[in-house]
Amino acid sequence: MKHTKRLYGTIIFLFAFLIFAFFYTGHNEKVAKNKIPKVGVLQLMSHPALDQINQGLDDTLKKHGYINGKNIKIEFQNAQGDQSNLRTISKQFVQDNVDVAVGIATPSVQSLKNATSTIPIVMGAVTDPKGFGIIPSNTKPGGNITGVSDQAPLESQLKLIREIMPDLKNIGIIYTSSDMSATTEMKKMKKIAAKQGLNVTVSSISNVNDLEQVSTSLSQKVQAIFVPTDNTVASGMKLLSSIAAKQNIPVFPAATTMVKDGGLATYGLSQYELGEQTGEDVVKILRGKGKPATMPVTFIKKGHLILNEKQAQKLNITFPESVIKRAQKEGKIIK
Amino acid sequence: MNLIISTISQGFIWAIMAIGLYITFRILDFPDMTVEGSFPLGAVTTVIMIQHGYSPEISLLVAFLFGCLAGFATSFMYTKLHIPSLLAGILTMTALYSVNLRILGKANMSLTKSNNIFNSYGLDKLPVNFNGIILGIIIIAIITSLLIIFLNTEKGQAVIATGDNETMAASMGINTTVMKFIGIMVSNGIVALTGGLIAQQNGFADVNMGIGSIVIGLSAIIIGEVIYPDVPLSIRIITIVIGSIVYRLILMIVLQLGFNTNDLKLISAIILALCLALPTIRAQFFQAFRNGVKSK
Repeated sequence: MKHTKRLYGTIIFLFAFLIFAFFYTGHNEKVAKNKIPKVGVLQLMSHPALDQINQGLDDTLKKHGYINGKNIKIEFQNAQGDQSNLRTISKQFVQDNVDVAVGIATPSVQSLKNATSTIPIVMGAVTDPKGFGIIPSNTKPGGNITGVSDQAPLESQLKLIREIMPDLKNIGIIYTSSDMSATTEMKKMKKIAAKQGLNVTVSSISNVNDLEQVSTSLSQKVQAIFVPTDNTVASGMKLLSSIAAKQNIPVFPAATTMVKDGGLATYGLSQYELGEQTGEDVVKILRGKGKPATMPVTFIKKGHLILNEKQAQKLNITFPESVIKRAQKEGKIIK
Repeated sequence: MNLIISTISQGFIWAIMAIGLYITFRILDFPDMTVEGSFPLGAVTTVIMIQHGYSPEISLLVAFLFGCLAGFATSFMYTKLHIPSLLAGILTMTALYSVNLRILGKANMSLTKSNNIFNSYGLDKLPVNFNGIILGIIIIAIITSLLIIFLNTEKGQAVIATGDNETMAASMGINTTVMKFIGIMVSNGIVALTGGLIAQQNGFADVNMGIGSIVIGLSAIIIGEVIYPDVPLSIRIITIVIGSIVYRLILMIVLQLGFNTNDLKLISAIILALCLALPTIRAQFFQAFRNGVKSK
């Protein structure tokens, strides 16, 4: 009985509070203008690639003279992949009246978009914002959202693969079915490769535990494996490259970080640079030099040619002279 | 102020899921992992239905039915194939990952045509975040009344008896298998309905959104039980709602205190563990207190 009474007490209190809040929020609560600009960064989860974007963003802000705590307040929050956290943090940014909100990875951006239609939002790497229904157009976003796409320069990547392997006929693609960016790139690559007369075999995994079996089966059917920008496969890259190496199959990843872990070569974007570009967008908005509505989404065209000499020796592959020269000039060779 | 209201609003919506979970977790004494799959199942169903032009209400209803189907799969494995309860749930949850991916066609989809239940019926004219609260209260009221009415029928009492003591229930002529089917299906239906609501509120569905949802639901139930022990069943459902709001408020305070969000999962687990242990700690404390009085 005692507890039921306490419960009624709580309920009365809760409703009294809600009724008070109903009229209170209805009338005033003008949000105070921030003394120094405030940037809210919402990252989906802890992950090397996403961390790199955040690092690039931080460094760019610093480069432009924004020092956290001094003349800017950067509020960094990580949602740990939890939907309700995404929403809570987004709401908190709106409540704090941040000047710019940055969403790192697609769900973060979607959550921010849902929380505000006035505060500028900068996408830190969403593969295809229009395709995902975030903005109506990549060239003229129109609303309060703009940012950077992390879509890899797939055409150049396939060109590189064919330069290294002129006899290539069968190519395999492995990707994670729950990774939107990877799925988008897989579809695009499949189209490009098919257009060039290649046979494409696509395999998907649902998590890193599937990688061993799926890649073993795939590497028996193809001459080379391509991996899109895929967080899950990236974390199992060493495993994938060693399995493929058993069949003498090279792995060509879309992201440069994956070459270090046993990929053969790529012409790719660096996550850090994506972060830098994100930072540039933030600075532009902070300084009033641009509005998201008129700032087109940035697709980074220039990639870095990265070759893994060690892996090439393991696979008995020699890079063509021209490719090596290019890598020496505008990229990196891992020895 | 807005933040608190937003937190309370989240508490109301997630409470619906906790009520669904309560049917299996407490009434049937069945730890049901299916919810981590049926929650996103509801979300993807709703988003796809709305994208194809169906009304948000119809889509929620279909989400509920799909959730019931997921519950059916688990109960079938559990009762007919005699697969252990935890495992049966995990199997359905795992299978639902592929099902959800098939339904949605991709891993994540935004609701572009923003026709959702949170801005129909003039709910969007309310002060910020009150649409979630009002809608939450209405849906909780409907589900709770239906549930209480059901649990007071002969069938409902049979479900409760099955959870309390299966052997006894069976000896009284109750078909315990059917009762388990009913309980698990309705529970997952409610969970999927919540998934659909959350997808409409957040504006997208993601195949990974079920991860950790069971902890959120259990926290609400257990916090409710810790704050208000020993209350009758119908009032218990209301304590779940309070529990859900309290859990959200605790998390909000943790976030506001500036804890590193990397530790958020750890903090959630600690909150839940503390609440689970609290009755034991309280009992031991009173025991020690009484002993102390006696020795004097």
